[in-house]
Amino acid sequence: MTVRRIDQGQRFRPRMAFLKKVEALLVEMQDPNSGIKMHTQRVMITNIPHAMTGADMLHWIMQRLQITNEEALHLGDLMVKYGYIYPLQEPKNLTLKTDSSLYRFQTPYFWPTQKWAADDTDYAIYLAKKNIKRKGLLEEYEKEHYNVLNKKINHKWDFVIMQAKEQYRTGKERKKVDRYALDCKEKAYWLVHRTPVSEPLSNTLARQEIMYYQQAIMKSTVKSSVSLGGMVKYCEQFRTNDPIISGCLPSNPWISDDPEFWDFNAKLVEIPTKMRVERWALNFSELMRDPKGRQSFQLFLKKEFSGENLGFWEACEDLKYGDQSKVKEKAEEIYKLFLAPGARRWINIDGTTMGITVRGLKHPHRYVLDAAQTHIYMLMKKDSYGRYLKSPIYKEMLAKAIEPQETVKKSSNNPFARRHLRSSPSPIILRQQEEEAKAKEAARIVDITQVMSKLDRRSQLPPPPPAAKCSFWLF
Amino acid sequence: MVKEECKALLDALNKVTACYRHMVLTIGGTSDSQNLREELKKTRQKAQELAVANRNKLTTMLKDKTVSKEDRAEFERLWVIFSTCLEILEIDMRRALELGQEFTLNVPKRHLIQTGMSGGTSGVAARAMSVQNMKYEADHNIDVVDLKDLENEINQVGEMMYEMEMKVSVPQWTVEAKQDPGAELKSTISVGASSIGMISVEENKSFCDISKVLAGIIFTAVLIIAIVLAICVVKLS
Repeated sequence: MTVRRIDQGQRFRPRMAFLKKVEALLVEMQDPNSGIKMHTQRVMITNIPHAMTGADMLHWIMQRLQITNEEALHLGDLMVKYGYIYPLQEPKNLTLKTDSSLYRFQTPYFWPTQKWAADDTDYAIYLAKKNIKRKGLLEEYEKEHYNVLNKKINHKWDFVIMQAKEQYRTGKERKKVDRYALDCKEKAYWLVHRTPVSEPLSNTLARQEIMYYQQAIMKSTVKSSVSLGGMVKYCEQFRTNDPIISGCLPSNPWISDDPEFWDFNAKLVEIPTKMRVERWALNFSELMRDPKGRQSFQLFLKKEFSGENLGFWEACEDLKYGDQSKVKEKAEEIYKLFLAPGARRWINIDGTTMGITVRGLKHPHRYVLDAAQTHIYMLMKKDSYGRYLKSPIYKEMLAKAIEPQETVKKSSNNPFARRHLRSSPSPIILRQQEEEAKAKEAARIVDITQVMSKLDRRSQLPPPPPAAKCSFWLF
Repeated sequence: MVKEECKALLDALNKVTACYRHMVLTIGGTSDSQNLREELKKTRQKAQELAVANRNKLTTMLKDKTVSKEDRAEFERLWVIFSTCLEILEIDMRRALELGQEFTLNVPKRHLIQTGMSGGTSGVAARAMSVQNMKYEADHNIDVVDLKDLENEINQVGEMMYEMEMKVSVPQWTVEAKQDPGAELKSTISVGASSIGMISVEENKSFCDISKVLAGIIFTAVLIIAIVLAICVVKLS
């Protein structure tokens, strides 16, 4: 089975909504009364109908859409470039000429679509057919393409030859005039979709291309077996946690109209569910992603006197995702609170990182604290996380965690019953509550710090040197 | 023996696919008609029958463990050709569905695209169905009625391809093409040459025959004259 096209996601799929609109316009052009006037094209001794002049087309577009000359010319030009209409006298010149040069409509099979990309196999068949017809006289770029395709889809080459021969022979069953017209159409299609390169690349473009390819080679690649194994492992691990695949425990709120599931899994709920707490043990990033997990972890770190690490990490996240206007002041605050020598909540990072960060802070931006943040993250992951999972705080949380029971659906199948639609609290209110909680937390820390600093001054203990390995810092 | 049968079936499928492609090219253009839609229907049904026959034959051969290595390589090559052919057929069927839905024929306001083609495709259809002349016996609105069948058939072909992938694992990229680039030229030239050669051979043969007959006659005539002369000589002497 051939992978026809790698879907890279919406970012790489250009929006082609205009295709349908152009097609509607094209159908209107066919109207015998109000469409474009048709002439016949004379080819040697035969007449082929349905040719139109560029001027007629331009005039029709201007009249139908009520637009200016330039706009109509541009639109007509685009129609030719996309392959809806092809020129008869100069096939390679894909522009709309407003004199009496003739154009014809392309058959709907060859219209541009997003679904069916112009395929290599089809192109190879076309080139082979052309080879048979012209007895080996292909153009230079076509010969190159032919050789490249021979190597690229070599396993299909026998089929390509067979199909090309058959298509060539089948073509003979049609009227000679039709065969000629069809050949022109196919040629026009491939001129649009495999445009011949008219001039070699300029120096700058070539240099850019070389740089791009060099960088692409240097990108680290992972064996697909490894990445697929990782994906399988992830799916197996998280499968029970997924509410869509494994069902969600009190009941699915969308089905039963019962928001208990959301209540139980609120951001900072008092007692989290068992599944949620177990999830924290799978992975450090899972713990950090969950606000309740972070709260619990913070409690633990405070007991170990390394709470400033998590505080710093959260402050960095706030800097990264917060307002652009507040970046400078936030960065300064973080420096004063965590990084300056003798700071209140000084974090322990190595000399080089500190140097980089301090230098970066001269011109602060969102990501200036990235290096320090990563360092602290890895420190927490390697050091504190393991101890957290064995700590009584975590174990207590796990024991207290609730396992919601599956509720029996209250069978009110009466469609006319009035449903109680409870609205969840407004996000504005939720955010206000969060800010209040944060402020309270900060105030609490400040109080303790002031108390402790008073105690320090009284006992006149010299402050331990900042370069200490362990971060026992009373605050 | 089996190889030749497989090859013949594959050639037939190839021919029908090419004809189908030719016919799908004409949908929506000025040579589109109810007849064309009927031809499309018949051609693709024939293609499906051939595809099923091909698949059965090739799967039995590929599952057979007693096949020799060269034979197996040959069958794998045929398998790759077959699956590519089927892919092209499926795509053409899907496009026919799309185009058929867009360009329904009996709607008065809907104009067909003036593509410059005016002739019919009955010759192509006749080639596909291997008959002399096509008979048209469908209703007036086959273009709409047929679309449902077409959808079902597309699903069938899709399922068939999926089953094929699952049952027989032939790595496509390991197959090497037997024909070199430019092989299509040689074969047509040789076809041309062989046809010319055949004509000349026939002519030679006929010439030979005539010359042989002539020589025979002359020889016998000379022989008779010689005998008569000898008798005369004997008689006279």
